[in-house]
Parts: sequence; C-alpha cells; structure tokens
Amino acid sequence: MTRHLVIGGGTAGMNALRTIREEEGERSEITLVSAERPYSRMVLPYYLDRSIAESHVFTATAAVLAEWNVKTQLGRRAAALDTRAGVCTLDDGTKLAYDDCLVATGSSAVRAPVPGADGRGVHSFWTLDEARGVLAHIAPGSHVVLIGAGFIAFTILNSILALGARLTIVEIAPRILPRMIDPTGAELVEGWLRRHGVAVRTGAAVTRIEDRGGRRRLRFKGGRDILCDVVIMATGIKTNLEWLAGSGLRVNRGIVVDERLRSSVANVYAAGDVAEGRDLVTGEPAIHAIEPTAQEHGRVAGANMAGRDATYRGSLSMNIVEVCHLDVASFGAWDDPGAEAFTAVRRERPAYRKLLWRGDRLTGALILGRSSDVWTTNDIGMLKGLVQSGNSLAAWKEHLRGNPFDVKPAFIASRTTATLLPLTLLGRASKAPGTTPVAV
Amino acid sequence: MRVLKLTPDKCTGCLRCELACAYMQTGEFQPAKSVIRVSPFEGHTSYAPYTCTQCAEGWCMTACPVGAITITAAGAKDVLDDKCVGCKLCTIACPYGTMFYDPDTRKAFKCNLCGGAPACADACPTAAITYEEVATADWIGDFAHERAARVLAAR
Repeated sequence: MTRHLVIGGGTAGMNALRTIREEEGERSEITLVSAERPYSRMVLPYYLDRSIAESHVFTATAAVLAEWNVKTQLGRRAAALDTRAGVCTLDDGTKLAYDDCLVATGSSAVRAPVPGADGRGVHSFWTLDEARGVLAHIAPGSHVVLIGAGFIAFTILNSILALGARLTIVEIAPRILPRMIDPTGAELVEGWLRRHGVAVRTGAAVTRIEDRGGRRRLRFKGGRDILCDVVIMATGIKTNLEWLAGSGLRVNRGIVVDERLRSSVANVYAAGDVAEGRDLVTGEPAIHAIEPTAQEHGRVAGANMAGRDATYRGSLSMNIVEVCHLDVASFGAWDDPGAEAFTAVRRERPAYRKLLWRGDRLTGALILGRSSDVWTTNDIGMLKGLVQSGNSLAAWKEHLRGNPFDVKPAFIASRTTATLLPLTLLGRASKAPGTTPVAV
Repeated sequence: MRVLKLTPDKCTGCLRCELACAYMQTGEFQPAKSVIRVSPFEGHTSYAPYTCTQCAEGWCMTACPVGAITITAAGAKDVLDDKCVGCKLCTIACPYGTMFYDPDTRKAFKCNLCGGAPACADACPTAAITYEEVATADWIGDFAHERAARVLAAR
C-alpha cells in the first residue's frame, strides 16, 4: 500500500489530501503532519469580528479526517526531511517513512525588528492562536495601531472597526498597499479610509514600542508618538523552509517545482506558499502566497500523488480586499513596467480601472469600486477571466483605450466564455465539498 | 443535466427575467439583485441575457475556503448561507463575472437554477431563456461578437 505523507494542514495540504482520496484507484495510506488543527486562515477576520464562531474556521474535523482514513500527527512539526531514505523526522523524534510526500508548510508572520516588537500588547495576526490573542485584547473604544499597510493588514481592517475600535494605520513605505495597487489606487483608498475615520500615517518608520502604564507608546523616526492599546504587526511573512536544510531539495526563493508540482526529488512535491512554480501570465517561476494558488497547487499535487498525470498551467496572482465597502482587486502582472496601461478614474465615487497589456492580451488589471455597485463585482470576475484566458482583444483594444470601464462587452463579444468553459484544473468536473469518497 | 439555454436573437430586452430572478433570489423586485443580467448591444437595439453557465470546474466552489459552495440536486453550484463568511474569494475566482455579493447580508450569491425551476425561464415571454437538457455553452458570444463588430467597425 502506497504511503503518502502530507506535511502541513493548511489550504495546500488539505486540498492535496482530499484530491488523493478523490483520484486514487486503490486504497493508500495517508499521514498528515500539522502543527495546528487544520483551519482556514482566510476566514480568521470573520472570527475576529465575531460574525462566525471559532468552530467555523476548521476545515477538517477529527471526524472528517477519520472518515477520509487519514492518520494524523497533530501538534507536531516536521523537523527534518531525509529524501534519500524517504523519512521525515518530527520535532518529538518520531520518524515517518513515506513513498511520496508533499511539503506544504506555508509561511509565518514576521515582525519589524524594532525594540519592543515582542513585548506585551504587540500582536501578529496570522495563526488562529494569534487571532484569539488579538480578539481578547480589543474592546469598544480601544485604540488599535496596525503597523504595515499591506494585504494582510487590510483583511482585518473592517473587523477592527466592527469591534468598535479606533484605528490608525502606520506604513513605512510612502503609500499604502504597495504590493497590491499602484499609487493612484492607493491614493483613492487612503482618501476613502480617512473619510471613514481611519488615521493613516505613511512614510513612518517605527523605532521603538514602549510600555507606558499598560498602554503602548510608539516612537517614530520623526513625527509624533502614538499612544494606543493594541499594536498589530502586519509587516510581512516568510516561508517556512528552514527545516528543510540538508534535505537536498532545490530551493530558490521557494522550493522549485515543475508543472506537476514535483520538486527536484522525484517523490517529493511542494505546494502553496513554499512552492516556487509557474506564473500563468509570465511563465516565469514565482511564489504566490495566496489562497487560490495553495488550493490549485494542492489539488494538482494530490492528483499526481494519486497516480494521475496532472499538469498545471500556472498560477494567477490575484487579491481582493474590501475596505469599508470599497472593493479593491488586482490580477496578474498589474505592476509590469513593460506593459502598456490604460487607466480611468472617477474620484467622486470612487472607481478606478487599470488595464495592462502585452500586445492584444490583457496581462494584468486593477479594479476599485464600491461593493454595492453590481457592475464592479461583475467586472472583477470578467477581468480575471480575460487575464486567465489570455484571449486576444485585438478588436477591442482601441475601444478599451478610451473606455477602460467598458470591460463587459469586450469580455462577452470576444467569446471569452467559450475559451474558458473547457478549462478544468484536473481534466474533469470538480466535486462538491463533502462528497469526497472514502477510499475504495 | 438541465441548464439555462440562452437564445439572444429572441431577447427583447424586457428585463422580466431580472425582476423574476431578483424576486426569487432575494424577495425584492430589484434588478440590481438579479443574477441574470441583460446587456444591450448596438446602441440598445438588441439585447442578450447573461448568467452562470454552471461550468465544470466550478471556480467559485473550489476557491471557497470553507466549503460554502456546493452542487445542488439540480446540478447547480449554490452558496450555503450559513457557511459563507463573505470573504469574496469566489468573486475573484469566477472568471465569468457571475458571482454576486449582497452588501446587506454580507454573503455571496449566484444562479442556483432556483432549485430546478428557474424563475427567469418562466418569466421570459419569448423563450429567449429556456431550461433544457443540453450541454452548457457560450450562448451569447457569437451574437455579441457579430453586433459588436458592426459597431466597432463603424467608429
């Protein structure tokens, strides 16, 4: 009986595990190693604003894992991988032999290296434990400071406001969301935030976080101190790769994988944040530390581990955040300096579109608009479809140059739906969640 | 499975489908809440309805981090309200622009074929929308392409 080892119980690992059970022809043995009980990081902001119970965040209960016939090593971390012997050693010394294995150990939050960053009242928001910690410390009227104005910070912005806290965002870069939108989009979002009572301080370098009578005092390189109750550091993430030292896996910025999600060692796969795979738009190796990439990587790796020959076209970089009922989304190579860009902005709504071109094809897009504007939501999906399909928009390019908001007729009339309909990730219709068969 | 077959040449742009859909989905006669949308072509002289094709991949369903999108008995991908947290990942994963978000309920919603009795098809007076046992398709691409080509060429 084939022994599969899945290391990491996040999105990539869980998708792989489920896909192995969906695809395998004969019963295999699966072992899951996960430092935490499997849960979805994506939904932690909704746990933070108390719109869902903690139980809602878990992606596979013990009962489901038992039904899938998965052996578990929960609360244990992988400590070393001997790819020659085919053995993974855990942090308690347990040795697990495998026939093939998936490395899906994800990322961890990193804090800016300033004195006091590890002190009391300073939090990260990445794991469920950290979410519990933040939730326990925010009360109506609390003053919360978010250090770092990136995607992660913005996913919890609404939640902090929903808890009745006062919010200040501090960013070292000259503008907010530096890796998700361009300066025009950032300016619109920043104005929107101020209209909604959020203080924003950009170009601000925190030099020290001090305890002052149970509250936090932030000192800056220039600029006034900020006194607050809770500090959340959203200053970046790093991939969890240290434990693979000596494994012999080829690592660049992440574990280098081929179109089957296979590493440089034939029976070791990698998926999600730790994997450096193909970017759908550029064709170049890339790390996309986002939920959809983890899902797709996990499913393709799982299918291959189950004996299928599944190839992957590559992952599409994409993000969406809602900022006080303003949707902000980006797709593909939206920051490509070599691309031709068409933009249109309506400051009063606000609304913004940026279309990026390589020849007649859309290779990236930025979109910003109110959540209540139905056409914004429709355009968000259609822009994704245009970038994903790589459809030629030759007939529409000149029209879109003058009318970047007119995405819908271009999408429909360029028969994008016909291009997209035959595409499936695994060469078959997807199964609904909860219908995964127990292995034969 | 039966799907919504769209025959744009028969569409008069009366928007009854949008009203019927919005009423069925949300209880409001409010086109903005319809998940079937009628688009005008050629300066509002021709029209075509557009909605979810119930695609094989189900990009919305596989993207959902909490398994809140499932397949109904009618074969439609549908959002389970009690599981959806409103994270909008489905709205960027669906490449057809047929996922919707209700700011009032903070949930995603989409065409669910009304449990096997689609209100839009019932409401359509010209059979531009029918509910049939056929393979799903790009029903309006050719229609739109032809009409758009005339308009773009005339510019």
